[in-house]
Parts: sequence; C-alpha cells; structure tokens
Amino acid sequence: MSLTLRIIIDVFLAVGAFFALAGTIGNLRMPDTFCRMQASTCIATMGLLGVVIGGLLYSIFIMHSPSTTVKIIVIGLLVFTTNPVGAHAIAKGAYRHGIRPDKEMEIDDFRRDFDE
Amino acid sequence: MRKTTFPAVLSTFFVSYCFWILLTWSWATEELIAGAVVSLAVALFSARFFIHNKAFWFFNPAKFFIFLLYWVIIFPVELIKANWDMAKRCYGGCRKVNPGIVRVPVEIKGDYGQAQLANSITLTPGTMTLDICEDQGRDYYYVHWIDVAETDRDKAGDIIKGTMEKWLRRIWE
Repeated sequence: MSLTLRIIIDVFLAVGAFFALAGTIGNLRMPDTFCRMQASTCIATMGLLGVVIGGLLYSIFIMHSPSTTVKIIVIGLLVFTTNPVGAHAIAKGAYRHGIRPDKEMEIDDFRRDFDE
Repeated sequence: MRKTTFPAVLSTFFVSYCFWILLTWSWATEELIAGAVVSLAVALFSARFFIHNKAFWFFNPAKFFIFLLYWVIIFPVELIKANWDMAKRCYGGCRKVNPGIVRVPVEIKGDYGQAQLANSITLTPGTMTLDICEDQGRDYYYVHWIDVAETDRDKAGDIIKGTMEKWLRRIWE
C-alpha cells in the first residue's frame, strides 16, 4: 500500500519536473521575448500542478498533517491566480516599450491598431 | 468611485474569514475572534474593489458547482493538451514557432467573466492575452499566439478559446 502510494506520488513529481524542464529549455532557446514568456507558462501551470498534487498526496496520506495540506492548496491557488496577471502585464509592457521579435510576425493586429 | 455597501462587506467578510480559517487551521476561540476582527477590517476597506455588481452571486450553489467543475475538469483538460503541445515544441528545438498577435472577439459580458476568460487564455501555454479593447459595442482581446494556424479573426477566436468560453458564460451570465 505504502509502496504503491510512493510510486504514484513520484510519478506526479516526475510529470511536474518534466514540464518544468520543458519550460526551462523553451525559456533559453525560443527565438524572441514573447515566445520565451509563452514557454515559461509551462512551468507555472503543469509543472506546478504536478508538484502540488504530489505534495498534496504526500501530506494527506504519509504526513497526516491538515495544516500542510491547506498550505499546499493555498500555494497552488495563489500561483494560479497571480501568474496570468503578471504574465499579461510583463508582455504588454514589453510590447509598449518597443520590444519586437527579429522575424516579422505572421499577423500583428496590435501594431495595426495602436502603433502610430 | 464605488460606494461600500452592506451586502458587499458581508460577502467579502465571508471570503476573508474562510481564508483565515484555512491559513490558521485552528478552532481556538481567540483565533476565531481575532480572525473575525481582521476580516471585518479587510472587508470594510476592500469590499468596493472586490464586489462589482451582485454581492451574493457566488453563493448560488448551482453556479458554484459549475465553477468547481470548470476549474477541476474542463480547464485542466485544455491545460494538459496545450502543455503537451508546448513541451513537444520545446524538446524539439524550438524551431517550429510562427508567432503573431490576433484580435479575437469576446462574446462574454461583465468584468468577472472577461477577466477569468483572459486569465484562462494566459494560463494555457501557447496563447497570452495582451490587452482588451472595445470597438463598436463588441469587446476584443489581443492575443499573442505562438503558432498562428488561422488568420481569420473569428475562426482564430474559436480555436484559441475552445470550450472555455462556453463554460464561463454558463457561470457568469
């Protein structure tokens, strides 16, 4: 029973690590600023989700600690609610500041409507 | 500036108190009283930012059930699909990108629904909301899309928003 549980928890942690690594590689190798930000979303969603579910199972079934469980849930909620706001603000700020990708974008409605 | 109304204070107080109990996780009388005082102060100061129209909208059980269903089942499915796509792109050397910014129409009305749809779009890897604007009575998002598969705005909107908008309209309308 305990071994099965540990394997399930490890699988969740490994899934989180897999997506976090994908996000990191994307963060380093993507061609321009906005694509790099897109890749980093991987870390904050699937990476976080895997690690949080793994930690949740560990705290419920192995640690038997309600306060740790609740804190893990609160961490998950806070990252999930604040991450998109930050990403949106950084991306819009970068665009308004004049950062453009080297390669011309396929379609750019933002420039069409707001650039002078 | 919005007025602070009693129902808004009441529902903000309720949410803050729930968070206090979650964070402390103790049922001692002193803790509960201290939490009530702090929550009341928070509610008095922040109710007018937190509640925009109907104060008890969220305590409707059917709406709350659809809300939970959305965040536990509907949204994670979209999230896993998008993440898998993004992971393939990243491990494949980051060559297959075709970025662009598309203006897509939004059918949903109201602040909460639009904010939540924008957050959902930003949270799915591959799409990111940059800005919102209003044009001739309709609302539009500017969405940065890492792989522009469709340059027609309406069809692009259907691909980007997927099933998320349909469910959010059930919650917030």
